[in-house]
Amino acid sequence: MAYSELIKDFSKIRNYMRQFYVYGFKTRGEYEAKSARSYDNEKRRIESWLGEYMSFRQESAGKISYISVDSGKVGHNPLYNAFKAKSFTTNDIVLNFFILDILQDGESLSASEITDIIAEDYLSYFSEAKIIDEATVRNKLKEYEKEGILKAAKDGRRLTYSLEQDKIDLSSWQEAIDFFSETDPVGVIGSFLLDKLPDRSHVFSYKHHYILHALESDILCTALDCMSRDLKATITLNSPRKKDMQVYEIIPLRIAMSTETGRGYLLAAEMSHKRLNMYRLDRIEEITPGEVAAGKAKYMSDAEVYIKYLWNTSSGRNQSTYHLEMILHIEDSDEHILRRLEREGKHGSITALEDNRYRYSIDVYDAGEMIPWIRTFTGRIEKLSCTNPSVTETFYHDLDALYDMYGGEK
Amino acid sequence: MMLFSEVYGSYFNAVAAILSKAVSGDLTKTDIYDIIGDKAFAESTLNIPNTLLSGKWPLLTEQMHTPLKHAPSMPLTTLQKRWLKSLLSDPRIRLFDVSCEGLEDVKPLYEQDDIVYFDQYRDGDPFEDPSYIQHFRTVLTTLREHRDLYVRFQSGKGRQHVWECTPYRLEYSLKDDKFRLIISGGDRPGTINIARIMECVLLDESDPETLEIPAREKANVVFELTDERNALERAMLHFSHLEKETIKLDDQHYRVILTYNKDDETELLIRILSFGPMIRVTEPASFIELIRERLDMQKKYLSSQE
Repeated sequence: MAYSELIKDFSKIRNYMRQFYVYGFKTRGEYEAKSARSYDNEKRRIESWLGEYMSFRQESAGKISYISVDSGKVGHNPLYNAFKAKSFTTNDIVLNFFILDILQDGESLSASEITDIIAEDYLSYFSEAKIIDEATVRNKLKEYEKEGILKAAKDGRRLTYSLEQDKIDLSSWQEAIDFFSETDPVGVIGSFLLDKLPDRSHVFSYKHHYILHALESDILCTALDCMSRDLKATITLNSPRKKDMQVYEIIPLRIAMSTETGRGYLLAAEMSHKRLNMYRLDRIEEITPGEVAAGKAKYMSDAEVYIKYLWNTSSGRNQSTYHLEMILHIEDSDEHILRRLEREGKHGSITALEDNRYRYSIDVYDAGEMIPWIRTFTGRIEKLSCTNPSVTETFYHDLDALYDMYGGEK
Repeated sequence: MMLFSEVYGSYFNAVAAILSKAVSGDLTKTDIYDIIGDKAFAESTLNIPNTLLSGKWPLLTEQMHTPLKHAPSMPLTTLQKRWLKSLLSDPRIRLFDVSCEGLEDVKPLYEQDDIVYFDQYRDGDPFEDPSYIQHFRTVLTTLREHRDLYVRFQSGKGRQHVWECTPYRLEYSLKDDKFRLIISGGDRPGTINIARIMECVLLDESDPETLEIPAREKANVVFELTDERNALERAMLHFSHLEKETIKLDDQHYRVILTYNKDDETELLIRILSFGPMIRVTEPASFIELIRERLDMQKKYLSSQE
C-alpha cells in the first residue's frame, strides 16, 4: 500500500510518538517494528506532523530520532496534530463539503433529494466525476446526525436532514479555549475549535506543562463519555508484566491526573473481581462503551472512601492503611518550607512542636509512594517513622547510598 | 461521538479554506500552497494540490472554480459543545468573558468532580474572588491590546512595589494552580503573581514590534540514571517538560542532560533529590555542591534515628 501521511488507526503510531518523546535514545533497530519500512513510515509521518519538533542526532550505535519540545516555550501542544491526521475516502471529503453547502440555506432535505442535487448541481462540474449513490449519501447523513452536525426530522414517511442549530459565539470563547486547550485533559477538542477561528492568541505560556497525555485523548474522551452516561466499558490493557493483552469489563468512575508527570489514570470498578482499580490511561489500548452500569452508585461511594487514603494512585496490596510521621526542623527564616508542607501534604496534618520542630502525620494506603516527596525535605528530616517498616528502611538505606555517591561521611 | 475523525482533520480544514477562497473567486495556485503550509502538515503539499486540481476530489476545477455556493462552514459537533459546556463549571472560566448562549441544553462531557488532580498544590489562586478576576481581566486586556500596565503588588516577602511595565505573557502552572505575569525585557524584567496584585490600571499602547522577549537564564545539569524501581520511565516522564537529551550507556544506565531555567534551580534540586540514589548528578560541580549541602544538613539528624 502506498505511503500516506494520514492514518486509519491511532494505536500503532501512539506508541512510536511516546517513545520518540519520552525516551529519545533508541536507534531504529531498537524499535519493535514489524519491519524497517514500518518504522520508516511511522517516523516520516511524525516528522510531517510535528515538523521542527522532530530532531535527530548521530551516535555510534546509529541515528537517534526524538521529539524535542521545551514546553515552557510552546503555546500549543504539537502532539495534538496526530489527532488531525485521520485518513478518509474521496466520498468522505466530497460529501462533507457538498452536503453542508446544500443545507447551508436552512433547507430540510431527504437523502434522495440531496443525492439528486449533488449529481445535477455539483458533480456536473466535472466531466469524469463518479456518481455517488443514495445509500452512500444516506450513510454520511446518518453519520453526521450522530456527530451532532445534522438533525433529522420525520415528515410523514419522509426523513429529512438539516443543519444542527449553532448559536455559539465562538469568538467570545477564543482566549478561554486557548487556555483550556492546553490545560484540560481533553484539550485536543479545544485545539479542534481553535482551528475554526481565524487567529490564534499569544497570551498564555505554561510552566510544568506536560503534553504527552494528549496521546491518550481518544481513550480519555470515551471514558468520560461512559462516566457521564453511566455506562460500563470494556478495556483492552497492555501490561508490561503480561505477554497478552488483558480485557476487563469495568465501570469507569473517576479520572486521576498527575500534575507532576502529566500521567492519567482511570479509577474503575472491575466487574469480574468486583473491586476498584486504577488503570494507567497510557496502558489502555482500546475502550468500548457497554451497557448501562447497574450498581454504579455503590461503587461511587466506595470510590469516595478509596480516594481518601490514596497518596498518588496506589492502594497497596490489600487496601489497608499505614500511619506515617515525619518530624521536620524548620528555622524561622525557612517559613516557605512550612508552606510547602501545607500545600503539598495532601490530607496529612501538621502539628507545631517546640524548638522549630513540626510533626507531619498521615494515614495512607501505600506509604512507599510518599518516599520521593519525603526526600524533597532532605536536610530537615529529624525523624521518619511508619507502621510499614519497609518505608523507613528504604528511605534511610537510600540516604546512605546518597552519602556514598556524593562522598560525604555518614 | 468520535474524537479521532476526519471532520477535525487538517486536510478538511485546509480544503475548507481553499474552497472558501475559490467561492469568493480569487483563488490562485500560490494561495493553495500557502493555505496548506499554514493549516496542514509538512508533506501535505505533495498530496492536496494534486488531488484537488486533478479532479480526484471533485471540489475544484483546474480553472480554480468550485461548485460550492457558500464559503464552507460546519456547525459545532456534539463533542465540541459538550466540552465547552464542561468548561462552564470550571472556576477558572470566570476569568474569561464567555457567552453561554447555545449551550443551555447541552450535556457536559464531564463534571468537575470527575477529574481529580491528585498532586496539585492546595494553595491555588482564588479564581472566584472578584478583585482577582478584575486584575486578571485587566492583565489579559493589556496582552490582547498590547498596552502597558501600572501595577501595585506585594512581593513574596511582603513588600509593596509599584511598577509601570509591558506585560509579555500570562504563565500558568497546573501543578501550582497559579497564574504569573511575565514582564517583557527592558528596565523591569520579572514576574508578578496575579494573586499578589493589589491594583492595576491599563496604560498607553506599546509597540508590539519592540516587545523584548524576557531572557531567562538557562543552565544544564547532567546526571546518570540507574534504571531500578522503574526509575527510567518515572524520570523520563517527570522531566519530559524540559528540553533533554538521553544517552543509553548500558542496559541499566543512562546519561541525561537537562536544560532548565536558572530561576527554577531550587525546585529542580529537590526534584532530583526525590529520585534518591537512582540519579547521580555528574555536572556541574556547583549543582553537586547544592546536593552535598542538603546531605550535610541532613547528617546531623541521622544519629537520632540510629
